[in-house]
Amino acid sequence: MSAELWTEKYRSKSLDEVVNHKEIISRLKKFVEDRNIPHLLFVGPAGVGKTTTVLALAQDLYGPDYLNHILELNASDERGINVIREKVKFFARTAPIRSGVSFKILIMDEADSLTSAAQHALRRTMERYTKTCRFCLIGNYSESIIEPIQSRCAIFRFAHLNEKDTRARIKHIANCEQVSLHETGLNAILEASGGDLRKAINILQTAAASRRDYVDEEVVLSVLGRVSPKDVREMVLLSMKGRFLEAREILRRLLLEEGLAGEDLLKQIYSEVLRLQISDVWKVRLSEALGEVDYRLTQGASVEIQLGALLAKLALVGEEMGR
Amino acid sequence: MSIEEQPWAERFKPRTLAEVVDNKEALRRFVAWVNSWKAGPPKNRSVFIYGPPGVGKTSGVGALAKDFGFDLIEVNASDYRTAKRLETILGKAVSQTQTLFGMKRMILFDELEGISGQEDRGGIEAILRLIKETRSPIVLVATGSPEEWEELLSPLMKVSEVIEFKHIPFRDIVQKLEALCQELGVEAEKDVVELIAEKAGGDLRSATNDLEALARGRKTLTFGDVYWLSDRDRKGDLSEVLRRIFSAKSFREAREALDASPIRHEELFEWIYENLPYAFDDPHDLVEAMDALSHADIHKSRAEKTQEYRLMKYMFDAMVAEVALSRRDSKGRGLIQEVQRATLSLGLSPASFLIQEGREGVIVKPTRYMGNDWQPLNSLLRARGGRWIREEGCWNIPYFRPPGKIDHLRRSWWSRRMLENLALHVGAKCHISRRVARREVVPYIRAIFQENQKTGISLAKWLDLKEDTIKWLRGR
Repeated sequence: MSAELWTEKYRSKSLDEVVNHKEIISRLKKFVEDRNIPHLLFVGPAGVGKTTTVLALAQDLYGPDYLNHILELNASDERGINVIREKVKFFARTAPIRSGVSFKILIMDEADSLTSAAQHALRRTMERYTKTCRFCLIGNYSESIIEPIQSRCAIFRFAHLNEKDTRARIKHIANCEQVSLHETGLNAILEASGGDLRKAINILQTAAASRRDYVDEEVVLSVLGRVSPKDVREMVLLSMKGRFLEAREILRRLLLEEGLAGEDLLKQIYSEVLRLQISDVWKVRLSEALGEVDYRLTQGASVEIQLGALLAKLALVGEEMGR
Repeated sequence: MSIEEQPWAERFKPRTLAEVVDNKEALRRFVAWVNSWKAGPPKNRSVFIYGPPGVGKTSGVGALAKDFGFDLIEVNASDYRTAKRLETILGKAVSQTQTLFGMKRMILFDELEGISGQEDRGGIEAILRLIKETRSPIVLVATGSPEEWEELLSPLMKVSEVIEFKHIPFRDIVQKLEALCQELGVEAEKDVVELIAEKAGGDLRSATNDLEALARGRKTLTFGDVYWLSDRDRKGDLSEVLRRIFSAKSFREAREALDASPIRHEELFEWIYENLPYAFDDPHDLVEAMDALSHADIHKSRAEKTQEYRLMKYMFDAMVAEVALSRRDSKGRGLIQEVQRATLSLGLSPASFLIQEGREGVIVKPTRYMGNDWQPLNSLLRARGGRWIREEGCWNIPYFRPPGKIDHLRRSWWSRRMLENLALHVGAKCHISRRVARREVVPYIRAIFQENQKTGISLAKWLDLKEDTIKWLRGR
């Protein structure tokens, strides 16, 4: 028997199956009825069902062979706007095949990772192929999508999932998979996932892989221990003790061997810093320093050097606390 | 030999002046000198071209001869350069300006540094005589720098227009290699091309040869294929340069140390970064010095972004002068402290060995027979670049160590490749980017493999993972 990732196995296959986002779903269903949609812009936090919703929409619109009518691109995977433009051109050029719908759908995920120049180019492409192709752009924040694109799209804001819905969904999956999920385990999953359903399902599946017969808080915590990078905390603490060389080794391992993106690492350091038992004055100073590093990275600076400089600074925090 | 079979360095060498990479100023002077022949033989009837290997000296001459329609007569080290032999080969060529078919002649003496006083008796005098009488331009080419052969060749330099060819800048080698890859349909990672260029040290020909050795008959080239190229012996007086930078007390001292660097400044930056924490053992100094490096890094990224490479000089100022001036209370005892700490962590009594600072590095000398303790101590010190010196019965751990980056990349290239592969498959199945896959799904898949191999393998099948990726996941 082949296992799948449950995030895929239990992905809603029709708008009717999507339980949250009532408002959004009812408006989208209207589009399906009319067999016409505008360009769409979905924004909202990770794991709340943005991609699921557009895929469900496509299945309702085109039926089982919906994959022939859509193209999924991921802005962070594609090398530059020219590649995107070529792919879009190729996809949009051919007329839709007998589906009773006069357009295809192009889904551009993580659209907010496109530079503004690339977004302007994308806007022109959208314009040119509007007759045969509708765009659905997906991102976390609408602020990082340029105004001219926003004004051409129907914007849908996806809110955090409420706990009741997430709880029901996880329970449902646990039932289907015959996982004996204890109440404490469920609570631990919900707390750790913070409204990110993908994360919640992944935790559940990993916990079930280790103990299907009884998943309680302890099992969940051990899963969390395995998947969260303890190294970041270790690196921060070593730096504060003035053990820069060892901290730098960890930094290198995370960047070069684990292939962590600078931005992601910075995010984790930020949350570690907030958790530290240090004075608020230092928290403010470090937040300032992190902000500077973050900006420099967007300008093409080296992650290792910039974070290295930050780790050196942490030693001063440690020194002052020691006094 | 068909063109595909030719060595790449030959196949892709410039055929016209326009194709020659760099050394534009030298070429401009060369062309001006050739043009000066139009009004009859000029004051200097020969030109003396010298410079490091593989920068386009000989091929530049060939390209110019072709552009200007010269019949090029070549004499190189394999011809005997005795007076008599030269005169028979060249007698006619120097006295007549045109060939039988009305072409102008140009005479090229290549590889002059290969003339030996013994074997090529009278060779230099003969060439001097030819220069005096010639009615065709004579081009003399020597490889290397003047101090290597000045004594022998200075009579030729005195009567010639002297033109120096310089190293090909790193960036241009990278560009040229990338163009070659594109032309040959080889997909090479940026790291790979940069490593080859780095290793070539300004020698475009050897870079081309290396690329060919690695890429001929392949479609892709990844870091894993070439990491072993990274050579780590090119230290020379680099230690001295680093010592001077870290101890400089003024802007000028620091800049002078930089100028003495035997390696590219950008590579030197990596060396400074690697060794800085050992030299700056006071935390306040370290903060300032690391800040200086972060400034240098910013200047570099600006230069690259805007393609205004003059901005690089600010990077260089920051990485040497600003770093040097950050030093106040540091004693430069970082390495010895690190060695002390590490040896103590083995649980050996501190009385078992002596640790002190030597001239070249920290010295660890056993004071008793180490027996079973020898092996762990040896590997610990080796991991820090130490070497056992048999004659003196001690380890020496050099003060300066090469950048750790390459080492890390080398150790991890396989896992990086597997990780990337896994992220690719997960991304495709789960409608997410590789980056999100790596961050948010891959850790769970690894954990599932640790907890339950059967489920893991069945998941792997669903993801269409290849055998080697599955093996890697199981092995962890």
